[in-house]
Amino acid sequence: MRWLRCFLLLALFWPLAPLMAAEILLTGSADNAGVQHFVTALSAQRPNDQVRFVPLHQLARPGTLKPATRLILLDLEALDWRLTETAGPPALVLRISRVQAEQRLGSLRPPFLTLLWSDPPADRQLRLTHYLLPQARRIGVLYGENSRQLIDELRQAARPLGLEIVAQAWPDTRDNRALQTLLKDSDVLLGLDDPQLFNPKTAKNILLSSYARQMALIGPSAGFVRAGGLASTLSDQDDWLAMLGQLLDQPTGKWPRALYPTHFSVAANQQVARALGIEAIDLVAAAKAVAAGEANP
Amino acid sequence: MFFGPSSPRPLLLLTALLGGPAAADDLFVDSQALPEVLTATRLKQSPAAVPGSMTVLDSELIRASGARDIPELLRLVPGMMVGYIAGNQPTVNYHGSNVNDARRMQVLIDGRSVYRAGLATVDWSDIPLAMEDIERIEVFRGPNTVSYGANALMAVVNILTRNPADSHGTRLKVTRGQRGINDWYASQGMGWDGGDLRLSLSGMQDDGFDETHKGLDYRDSRRLTRFSLSASHALAPDQSLDWQLSAKEGANQRPYTYKPVFYGVTAEGDNSDVAAKDYAGSVRWNIDFNPQHSLYVQGSAQHWDRQQVWRACDAALSFSPQLTQLWQLNPWYAEQLARNIRAPVPTGTAQEQALAGEVQAQWNVGGYQQVCGDIDQSTRETRYDLEIQDTLSLTDNLRLLSGVNYRYDRADSQTYFNGSLDDTTWRLFGQLEWRADEHWLIQGGAMYEDAHLSGSSLTPRVAVNYLITPRHGLRAVYSEAVRSPDMFENNVNWSYRVNNLSPTAFGQGSAEYFVKTRGPGNLDQERMRSRELGYNGFFADADLTLDLKLFHDEITGMVSEPLRNNQYIASNSNQARFTGSEVQADWRMTHADRLRMTYAYVDAWASNADDRRLSARNSGSAGWMRDWGMGWSSALFYYGADALNGYRFERADLRVAKRISLQRASLELAGMLQQRLDHEPTSSYDNLYDSRHVLYFSAELEF
Repeated sequence: MRWLRCFLLLALFWPLAPLMAAEILLTGSADNAGVQHFVTALSAQRPNDQVRFVPLHQLARPGTLKPATRLILLDLEALDWRLTETAGPPALVLRISRVQAEQRLGSLRPPFLTLLWSDPPADRQLRLTHYLLPQARRIGVLYGENSRQLIDELRQAARPLGLEIVAQAWPDTRDNRALQTLLKDSDVLLGLDDPQLFNPKTAKNILLSSYARQMALIGPSAGFVRAGGLASTLSDQDDWLAMLGQLLDQPTGKWPRALYPTHFSVAANQQVARALGIEAIDLVAAAKAVAAGEANP
Repeated sequence: MFFGPSSPRPLLLLTALLGGPAAADDLFVDSQALPEVLTATRLKQSPAAVPGSMTVLDSELIRASGARDIPELLRLVPGMMVGYIAGNQPTVNYHGSNVNDARRMQVLIDGRSVYRAGLATVDWSDIPLAMEDIERIEVFRGPNTVSYGANALMAVVNILTRNPADSHGTRLKVTRGQRGINDWYASQGMGWDGGDLRLSLSGMQDDGFDETHKGLDYRDSRRLTRFSLSASHALAPDQSLDWQLSAKEGANQRPYTYKPVFYGVTAEGDNSDVAAKDYAGSVRWNIDFNPQHSLYVQGSAQHWDRQQVWRACDAALSFSPQLTQLWQLNPWYAEQLARNIRAPVPTGTAQEQALAGEVQAQWNVGGYQQVCGDIDQSTRETRYDLEIQDTLSLTDNLRLLSGVNYRYDRADSQTYFNGSLDDTTWRLFGQLEWRADEHWLIQGGAMYEDAHLSGSSLTPRVAVNYLITPRHGLRAVYSEAVRSPDMFENNVNWSYRVNNLSPTAFGQGSAEYFVKTRGPGNLDQERMRSRELGYNGFFADADLTLDLKLFHDEITGMVSEPLRNNQYIASNSNQARFTGSEVQADWRMTHADRLRMTYAYVDAWASNADDRRLSARNSGSAGWMRDWGMGWSSALFYYGADALNGYRFERADLRVAKRISLQRASLELAGMLQQRLDHEPTSSYDNLYDSRHVLYFSAELEF
């Protein structure tokens, strides 16, 4: 069934694939091993294209680039640079979360940008929660100024799963009362990728407080899973390469304004699972189960 | 667009996440430098894998119970026997033993033992801790000296206070009600970068029981105020420091209980009240060397000050040097003579009879005269404690807990110790937790303790858990535990110097009372052998937690003699056995309803009848907590025990509360009704109330 679906989709996109080599320009403020690794992998994936990375400070204004360039922005500094003028080639913006977009752009969605969300989508995280903890009904969610906008979307995603979102604002992360109130009223904690709330300074507090109540944290990122969260969905470089493969095969005019990656996997902390009395998590099975619930376009 | 997860990768990814080098190079897997928080050393066993029986009283339960002090809360623990010597002297024992001396249970506040250093009891009323500052209470039902040291003989009550970081803002609470109930609490919490602090002040007052069996007013009220400061500091990402300071001062009424030995004495004092002050300070330094290795160092100092000076009356003959000499020769003979001073001299040895003759002659020449004087029964006790505990996760499935503890105890009392007495104790402990596979878990350890006054001991403990699934576990536990006799039992040097005698006795304004008692000095430790089979399960679909336990405990070398100053001869000659079963169920029926039930069947046998008195054969509790919405909530509890010290105890408690959200504040108004369902005294014939119910109200403001 999956193969058939893949084939059909492939057949659909085939005519759109460019027959000519394209110039793919990646940029970002940092040039580190991670960037190099990614650029190399992308080059290898697209032997017919000219893939190159130019550090941001070496680039002139966006408007000076050839219009046919496929521009890929690797960080927020690169986004800021692209936003300096409307002129210039359309860009795929990688490594931007919903919360960061809210901070930078508000509700603005410039037509020359395709925002590829780095944070795990709400419905996917909820399905993972539901899969791992089927008895949990009340999903506790902390939100801040910039993540408030995600709550409605979470509620909509929760409804078909029969879940209830218990949302709690956390205006001052040094004051635990909001966290304690939320833990009292929920069965599991779902973390939003909002660095104001979930960061290295708050991690200890959030994880120790929830564990003291034998409560699991789902998300917001792989780092939090390693720190003591139970599990999260995430998309890594291979997932993004697959995603970019599809987008780069399309003419830029067909690029959507924003997109979550369809490829993902599940990360889990088995030690935490054991301490919470949860069966060892089969990552492949969990990812399959979560994927099975994804809405088809 | 849907392509599904690429199946072979997630496993590789997990490796990457949990420390492999690849994650660092992945641009898309977050690179935030998050510390590992729930490390192998911090994570505990899941409830089904706990090597023993555990009852956790969470903050929701504590609040819903409406309890004003800790002993009342402990009625929610299966097998816990709560009795009262007087209204301000609750005694709590697990499964039983003596009603007057509850000394076989370890009680800790954030890891600091609140056992009195000299007279090893827990003065529940005097603990400098407000109920409002308690986050939860973990009761380990069974012996565990390996983890908690000697005195963790029958159970361990581990009280955990609220984290200062969770107590920001202001809380104000007042409680008023019948029986003179008048409590208050005020706290202020604040935080700064890298630290949090909470200051709380509180007070408590009530009249205790109303009347004695003779219908007289019962002198057992209490009044106290407390101060507590708790702070935590993050010194570095891998180090933190917590410290606490607390103090309590108050007055506990005690009735005048002295009964004159000699004929014709009618004068008497009117009380033997106690002014009680407790001070405690502790500091704990936590260090995480790495996720697999952590250590803490905890030091604490405590001081218990009991001022008890009271006026007593008896015949002047009580201070006769000859009678004192006779008591030292033969206490039984001396008591016979004193109690029947007008009768002919009792038969005895020539020396006894000669002394008795002299004493009788003294009686006739003014010895009969009534004299009153001040007795100073005050005690001051001090404890310093230092503990280092190391947790090392050797592999994912093997964890070693080890540590060393040093304790210095000192007791100061003219009456009980004729000055002061001190003791030092060293303790080494180690425990290994081995998860053989996903089903079998073996945990074992031992403690070696060496006390200057009571010698050394080695106690082992081993538990095997079989996890049917991660949430359902069977356990078999064998443990040994010891209790060191306290300074009072072993080393008492009990005499009364009576001051301000009026009129003077034998020409002296200050004299020694003829009764003197000395402890044996060579008592051994009491030893407990405990066997337990249990089951703990969590039924996720129903949200039901169930714990069952079968136990057989034996205490040998038990020191059971009552602590009275006439002919007190403590020995290790007694023993006791407790066999039975316990069940505990906690069911969150809906999100609004929580049901909780406990039951204990205890078959107690003890060679000394006094040790059988506080074991109810059947006891338990049942509770229903409900959130009605719109801020309304209720809690209904039933507590029952068929015989505590021979008296039935049955009570129903109803608490109804309404939470009102004000602008940036929250107000909770609550009413509490306790209704006794039986007509019996509370665990002692003098413990009587005028009415079978009591009503009190509280208002709590948080902002």
